[in-house]
Amino acid sequence: MLRLTLAGVNHKTTPIEIRERLAYPKEHLNDALKTLSRREGVLETLILSTCNRVEILTVTTHSSPDPEFFLSFLQETHPVLQGHSLRPYLYHLTGQEAALHFFEVTSSLDSMVIGEPQITGQVKEAYERSRSLNLTGPMLNQIFQRAIASAKRVRTETAISNLPVSISYAACQLARKIFQDMHDKNVLLLGGGDMAQLTARHMRKLGVGNMTLMLRDAQKGQELAAEYQAHYAPFTDLENRLVASDMVVCSTGADTYLINEKMISSVMDRRKSGTLFMIDIAVPRNIDPAITRHSGIFLYNIDDLKTVVEANQREREYEAFQAREIVREELEAFVRWQADRSTVPLIQTLRNHTEALRKAELERYQAVLASLPPDAREKVDILTRSLINKILHPTYQAIRQSPDIDEVREWVTKCYGLPADLSEKNLSQPHEKENTSRLPLSSSGLVEGESPA
Amino acid sequence: MLLKIAAGFYLGAFILLLWDILSSRHKAVPWAGITAGVGGALLHTLSLFILFTSRGHVTLISLKEAISFFSWALVIVFLFLEHQRKAHILGIVVFPVSFLSLLFVLGVSTDSSFLKSPTTSILISLHSVLIDLGLASAALAFFVSCFYLILDMFLRKKIFNYFFNKLPSLEFLDHLNQEFNGLGFAFLTLGLIFVMIWSYRTYATIWPWGQKGSWALLVWFLYLSLVLLRRRRDFRGKQAAYLSIAGFFLFAVTILAVNLYMGGGHSVF
Repeated sequence: MLRLTLAGVNHKTTPIEIRERLAYPKEHLNDALKTLSRREGVLETLILSTCNRVEILTVTTHSSPDPEFFLSFLQETHPVLQGHSLRPYLYHLTGQEAALHFFEVTSSLDSMVIGEPQITGQVKEAYERSRSLNLTGPMLNQIFQRAIASAKRVRTETAISNLPVSISYAACQLARKIFQDMHDKNVLLLGGGDMAQLTARHMRKLGVGNMTLMLRDAQKGQELAAEYQAHYAPFTDLENRLVASDMVVCSTGADTYLINEKMISSVMDRRKSGTLFMIDIAVPRNIDPAITRHSGIFLYNIDDLKTVVEANQREREYEAFQAREIVREELEAFVRWQADRSTVPLIQTLRNHTEALRKAELERYQAVLASLPPDAREKVDILTRSLINKILHPTYQAIRQSPDIDEVREWVTKCYGLPADLSEKNLSQPHEKENTSRLPLSSSGLVEGESPA
Repeated sequence: MLLKIAAGFYLGAFILLLWDILSSRHKAVPWAGITAGVGGALLHTLSLFILFTSRGHVTLISLKEAISFFSWALVIVFLFLEHQRKAHILGIVVFPVSFLSLLFVLGVSTDSSFLKSPTTSILISLHSVLIDLGLASAALAFFVSCFYLILDMFLRKKIFNYFFNKLPSLEFLDHLNQEFNGLGFAFLTLGLIFVMIWSYRTYATIWPWGQKGSWALLVWFLYLSLVLLRRRRDFRGKQAAYLSIAGFFLFAVTILAVNLYMGGGHSVF
């Protein structure tokens, strides 16, 4: 019987001082995986190491490793932590609980920022590393596929990924609430700080038609404009550019208002049209808040954007409730797969045993059967086979539906007189690590040759 | 019976669309809501077809008929728009309004006749149908304008709630408003042209001045100004939304109040 166990530490249980020392550098991960795989009973293993968590997933035979197993492994692979007790930080989950946790992690429901997309990629990377070392098998393949399927469903069936939780994304979200199509819009960026650059990147993704960058330093401005496929314009042209713009993102280091009431009055007279959406993420502010008296202007400062982010975080938490339903559905599918898989050897053993009995009986009556015409002999063969199948059918059903495979195995062994040694031998599942672990990953992250969930 | 089932479909469409808005999980639900709406519209169409063929003309001769046709037109124009522009959020107001309209039609035993002597003239039939279609378009412009003003308020007061996330962009709502008003104006104009031709043939005058005629002209001028003002680049958004709301109220008052209580032009037909 294969046992799934997960142990680890994450941002909820462990302070950064410990997490940063426990994180495996990429170049050490292969060695750590090999060390773990050499331990007794470990058939499959995976290590997920990110800045917020270190989690170890193992598939073992017969019994689940206890927390001490993982603690000693962590101490062994992190000599710098010798003498520190990691026990208070470590969580240890087995069976369905381990699978559920792994699904939630992959679906970004256990992340510091719920719904952040990086974790799914990190799980794929961790799986790929184990697979390249032949440390994955049927159990890890299945749990990985189900976890990825769960993550995909969470992203497509809930709004968790449509609610930006960064300031620059929030600016884009607001832009999409005002404008239907960004392709024919003119965006003016004032300043070249990190925030302005991030916003420029997001604007490009939104498909903004025309972007103009203004910077005091002309050379740097031209370089940045080229990087973001924008036009460069000097600050002296600000008023003219405002007339032609639909959206303005302001994040300069200036300590006065660059855009004031007088300028905007003149701009609005010349524009004679439409909406001007302005984002002022500079501190101190670069746009005079008094300009909002003009009906066509929507102005947001850094605090307003933080409010958007906070509202989105609350929405994401609500979406996470719905996402957990999806995760539970995928977990149920995994549990069904596991149950089917554990009953197959027992059913096969029983089938082999009864077939052997049937053949022995037919052999015993060989002399009588030989006197029958060939078609009658064939009918006897079909009849006996059919009779046995009909008698055994309820037993097969009972095995498949049994919640406790060990109990049903004992019952079937006694009931049908299966040889105890034959039963044990056949019931120990052949590990398919060698075969399945070599299956190539498709672009979707699923193992080719197996149907996606 | 068909109307009762159609009303049930409209209610179902409303519930399914509302479910979609409140729950982002079930992606198939907007499709299911729209399908239920299409089912209701088909049954409603069949019901009107049976009524008109049994009578031999399509003139809307009573308040009940006018309301039933209005709710049908509302759903048809909405479904056409949904097919073209994917604006199913409007369904959460269109379907309940249509459902309640049919509930009123089914629940009222007595009826108020618009016409003292019903006419079977094709011109009058076209007039009544086009005016009702115009009113439905004006109602949709009214709903869109309300959504616009709500979103504008959210954006200005910086209210970022669940409903805020579900609303389409201001620009989209403004475009819809323009399209519905244009459609409403076209139906209204055609409807008035047909009645003028009929009036000329019957009374040798193209405009029988009465309270109804004056109010109708006022509505037409208001929609004409809406369409013309739209050609100016500075007439957008909130101004257009406020005028659309006023236009719809004036249109509705003209059809209902003037017809029923003021003894307008229809009373002489």
